[in-house]
Amino acid sequence: MIYRSFSKIISAKFAEHIYHQKVAHANEFYLDVNPKKLREIATYIYQELTFPLISIFANDERNLSGKFALYYVFAERKQGLLIIIKTSVSPEHPVFTSIAVEIPGAAAYEREIHDLFGLFPLGHPDPKKLVFHSNWPEGTFPLRKDFNGQHRPPYANHELRFTQIMGEGVYEIPVGPVHAGIIEPGHFRFSVAGEPIINLEAQLFFVHKGIEKMCEGRSIEHCLYVAERISGDETFANSQAYCQAIEKIAHVTIPERAMYTRVIFGELERLTSHLGDLAGICQDVAYGFAASQFNMMRGWAYNLADELCGMRFLRSVNKLGGCRLDFVAGKEKKILQGMERLKKELTDTITIIQGKSMFIDRVEHTGILDHQIAVDLNTVGPGGRASGILYDVRKSFPYEVYDKLHFSIPNHKNGDVNCRMNVKIEECLAALEIIYQAIEGMPQGKIREPLNEVPPYQFAFGLTESPRGENVHWIMTGEHNTLFRYKIRTPSFCNWPAVCHAVKGNIVPDFPLINKSFNLSYAGNDL
Amino acid sequence: MFDMIKKIVQYPRITRKYPKEALDHGPILGKPEIDSAQCTFCGACILSCPASAIVMVTEKKEIGINLDQCIFCTLCSEICPVNAVRITHEVELAVKNRNDLRKTPAVIEKQDIPGLSYEIMGEKIQQKARQTFGRSLQIREVDAGSCNGCDYEINSLNNPVNDLERLGMHFVASPRHADLLLVTGTATRNMELALVKTYNAAPDPKLVVAVGACACSGGIFRDSYATRNGIDCILPVDVYIPGCPPRPEAIMYGILKALDRIID
Repeated sequence: MIYRSFSKIISAKFAEHIYHQKVAHANEFYLDVNPKKLREIATYIYQELTFPLISIFANDERNLSGKFALYYVFAERKQGLLIIIKTSVSPEHPVFTSIAVEIPGAAAYEREIHDLFGLFPLGHPDPKKLVFHSNWPEGTFPLRKDFNGQHRPPYANHELRFTQIMGEGVYEIPVGPVHAGIIEPGHFRFSVAGEPIINLEAQLFFVHKGIEKMCEGRSIEHCLYVAERISGDETFANSQAYCQAIEKIAHVTIPERAMYTRVIFGELERLTSHLGDLAGICQDVAYGFAASQFNMMRGWAYNLADELCGMRFLRSVNKLGGCRLDFVAGKEKKILQGMERLKKELTDTITIIQGKSMFIDRVEHTGILDHQIAVDLNTVGPGGRASGILYDVRKSFPYEVYDKLHFSIPNHKNGDVNCRMNVKIEECLAALEIIYQAIEGMPQGKIREPLNEVPPYQFAFGLTESPRGENVHWIMTGEHNTLFRYKIRTPSFCNWPAVCHAVKGNIVPDFPLINKSFNLSYAGNDL
Repeated sequence: MFDMIKKIVQYPRITRKYPKEALDHGPILGKPEIDSAQCTFCGACILSCPASAIVMVTEKKEIGINLDQCIFCTLCSEICPVNAVRITHEVELAVKNRNDLRKTPAVIEKQDIPGLSYEIMGEKIQQKARQTFGRSLQIREVDAGSCNGCDYEINSLNNPVNDLERLGMHFVASPRHADLLLVTGTATRNMELALVKTYNAAPDPKLVVAVGACACSGGIFRDSYATRNGIDCILPVDVYIPGCPPRPEAIMYGILKALDRIID
């Protein structure tokens, strides 16, 4: 087993500080460690073993153990193992040691924990507010169990602070939260000297809806519908991750036909999302013809979704234990025809746009995300793959039947808009191939396995590759088939800081283009 | 260049004829309906409805769905033991009065933004707007806390398949140029101020259209600590478009309804 060798290494080094070890669901390795040694252990795993940090979250376990718990999730991506370091924070002294200096990707998680749980990260380089803006009263922490989720506290008015860049001729451009295009709200502060951007600070969480709190104490069926509404165009990936976690806890293996159905829908979602991004990139450089082409193809993909399940956004497709209906049965031919048509049109359009030197001029060497920064911030999805991070959840942590299907991960190194665009193009073509294979390999049979009541206080991860990248859901069940804690980390959360780095040195008019090439979800980040 | 022209010739017109010709409903999921003759009033659907949209008065033998809250998830039709719930293909659901979508009367939260008497302003604007806007309209879209589903659907109004511009409607970059605000989302705490500012920045007369279940009533995100229940807690709304998310055609229908270009 893979965790054994890891267990040996870590025990040899920190034996006396590890209280407890446990393996759950085959690839989740939980380690309960001494809070005082946490920083050392985390740094060791991150720097020496080079496992990236993929999430940090807190959990109010005062009812269970009298303490708050902190979970640090690392991923061993070569063999597919999740390493979860758990420590506790006492409610009398609600502080914990920050690891943001050693692990830059941890900074945002720690700020989030401070806002929602009131645990202060000691030694954090910039512990400003993240989730709540100037209007949230001090000392109110919504994710603590004693906070009533329906209570709306009074409005406060604090001062908000932004990073200031001083120097001759440096000026600031505030943009948003209501933007010029039809996109979601977010506020951006550009510090600009002449033409190039020297710093960008993004203030997000404008669409914070309190999803995690809302799910606590609700039934597991109810929360599936909430999971579908985390982020509109990642509906399927999110609901799939949710189902995966619950199915793991309930020890249910879904029927093979449902697995194949999920693969088809997952790839269909990737297609619609990527085609939209490609259209957006072309639109932002005023290449109307290509944008119209991609938008047309996206329209075809949506029509296909409509014909399969009646919902353009693939909602109400997943059910706990499988799928709602056998959506593919009898429509195989239609899907294959649709794919054939898409493939032909896509290859034609790609040949046209890649031969347009004026278009390539705009996208090449624009918004370069350096490989090292991408690694430090754990950039996932097409953004990471364009910067040389060869990682895909479908390969490293294969779910459903992805280990039986043949497809390759796009690998680009330059990290510019052109690379991200090429990654998306290649993924579109790969998605078409996967759908072909899935329809061919699909067995007959039932599509749903009944689910019994889930045991209380069990936990599991659901990992999926959404169109934007690695999507991590962690669920702890409560009593009577409810949720105790639902932690959602969508790829947007990791990739937003990367966008702020990628725009540096570019001119302000290129920002929409760079932003579009990442195409991050605000709703998925803000929750 | 030659390839481009070839493509343009290949696809001369891909725009749907939607408002002129009726929508081909096909398999799409629309409004759910409960047949009270078949219903045994067991209450199973009420307990399981994720958006708590189903209401029932057992004594009077009345049951119904508040469509402004409904998220069109089809769960009620699956759960019903006697198959009294039917999912229709109806998607043109936009209305001007929120109570038309509801079985129980809407209780709108107290409007407590100071210094603005929205109700009176809203009524006046409604009357004026009909006379003022002829056949052209400038739209400003504002996301006030949606899941981005509605925004993607609004975006697709601009694509070659729906092409809203053919109806004389354009999306503009600034509220100062707008006649109509297309608002999605539940009005989150963090967006409240921005939404009010955007509304104030738009010149009178103006219309407000609430798109999606969240904007109509809070949808599945109702009663959370960080949101208001729908944008009519903050702004006067002229037309409500239910759906989660409403299809582009449903949004188009709603906008046309706001302009009185739809005959009921």
